[in-house]
Amino acid sequence: MRSAACVVVGGGPAGLAAARTAARHGVRVVLVDENAELGGQYYRQLPAAFSGGAGAHPVKEQAEGRRLMDEVRALGVEVMAGAVAWGIFDQRTVAVATQDETTRIAADTVVLAPGAYDRPVPFPGWTLPGVLTAGGAQNLMKAYRVLPGRRVLVVGSGPLLLVVAHYLLQGGAQVVSLCEASSLRGLWRYAHRLLPHLDFVQQGRRYRRELAGAGVPVLTGHVILRATGATEVTGATIARCDDDWRPIPGSEQTLEADALIVGYGLVSSLELSRLAGCEHRWEAALGGWAPVRNRDMESTVPGVFIVGDGAGVAGSAVALEEGHLAGLSVAHRLGRLTGRDYSGEANRARGRLLHLQGFRRVMDEIFRFGAGIYSLADEQTTLCRCEEVTVGEALLALREGATHVNEVKAWTRVGMGRCQGRLCGPALAHVVAHETGRPVTESGVFTPRPPAKPVTMAALAREIE
Amino acid sequence: MTQPDLRMSPPAERGRALTILLDGQPLGCHEGESIAAALLAAGRRSTRVTARAGEPRGYFCGMGVCHDCLVTADGLPNVRACMTPVKEGLRVEIQRGLGEWGVQS
Repeated sequence: MRSAACVVVGGGPAGLAAARTAARHGVRVVLVDENAELGGQYYRQLPAAFSGGAGAHPVKEQAEGRRLMDEVRALGVEVMAGAVAWGIFDQRTVAVATQDETTRIAADTVVLAPGAYDRPVPFPGWTLPGVLTAGGAQNLMKAYRVLPGRRVLVVGSGPLLLVVAHYLLQGGAQVVSLCEASSLRGLWRYAHRLLPHLDFVQQGRRYRRELAGAGVPVLTGHVILRATGATEVTGATIARCDDDWRPIPGSEQTLEADALIVGYGLVSSLELSRLAGCEHRWEAALGGWAPVRNRDMESTVPGVFIVGDGAGVAGSAVALEEGHLAGLSVAHRLGRLTGRDYSGEANRARGRLLHLQGFRRVMDEIFRFGAGIYSLADEQTTLCRCEEVTVGEALLALREGATHVNEVKAWTRVGMGRCQGRLCGPALAHVVAHETGRPVTESGVFTPRPPAKPVTMAALAREIE
Repeated sequence: MTQPDLRMSPPAERGRALTILLDGQPLGCHEGESIAAALLAAGRRSTRVTARAGEPRGYFCGMGVCHDCLVTADGLPNVRACMTPVKEGLRVEIQRGLGEWGVQS
């Protein structure tokens, strides 16, 4: 076991910003990230082996991310890339493993910036190869410059769909259609609240114009019903939906496509904050759980700070500011930044954060999550992709008396696979709520257990002191 | 026979050309690509067949979360294709069921 003043978990915008600010104030920071290269999803870089390697940035945010990473390294932050933080013990001891070895770091302060992943929404055919998430599609195109298909259908909700469609068109793919679940009716009501954020609004309009120019139908108030194909996706059926994203019978439409990109928003990665013992609460606007934090970004566990999309999805601009604020808090807690120096900087960061959150709240209202999307699955639909448990099997357990996600897990193996419930947990909570007639907050969450990600026995057998 | 190639940028901008073995058959790809990117670029969507229902599965989350794009690589089962880079001569097998430990060469 070794020790550190500060361990930051996650090298995306939030984690990088936290590491930079803390290091600038003289804090010795260890930054841990599972990927071989820092950046997270938003700043995901081209592989170093691509020509120009680290110097080639076809996308604006890749260049921005590169600058931030270089700065963090120049400040002397110890970067552990390709290393997974698989557990948190005694509140602030972080267990980290590479392919071959593991180490435990007793930290004075921990900043969790684990990010988010696409909200898993089961529907018939969602396990077919060629059906992929919006985040996965973005990574494939942004980092590896590979198209997921030639005729691609994009379904889901939120601004990320526009970004994905933009990449598809840039790469020469045909976008069959973009199905946005939210109705986007009455947007004029938000005009005065969006005025201070015209740069974001204009970016959205540029994407919409590009889609219109390419003749891509943008269908608002539409959801996916099912993906079809024998061994991979060859088509899909969509339908109109109500404001709760529940499909309207009789409005079905069948489309041909060789890839289907699905993105009904993102959910926070909460495994580490749960393992650390932090309190969480349900955020209705986000349709998910988020850790409880004070104004310094500190969780209910002293010395554990949580920032970015892993603390309630709010995008990269908010993530950067939250990371900065947490970096200040860490420096303050460790005595590196005191009195007015701290309060002045922290208050300025909080002010900027308040401004950015104004935009996020409008986005959350426009693209408000509709739980009706969980009615897409039928009894034969796979709920747990790892253990191949169907919705029907989970319902059977509930009809036999299970009332909590952990009971359904024990009876059916749902959530026991390698993804550790990340892909079935959110949907199962809604299945439990629907069947028991109680609010989704009463369904419970899977008990978190280390390792938060699979770790090889070889790594566990070899602990570095 | 022409292979589909879904690479967006010209090969010149990529890493040097190399060859992996997919179920024993040579597959051209580029240094820096993940196994998943290399397979998808060639239009190969399935990376494994599930243990219970025998269903094909492939790249889904693309960020190491879902564990659906598992392959057997150089005899090591349950390798995430989206998180693992290709290298010259890498033996990739479409994983059947839970996978088996291969003989290390």
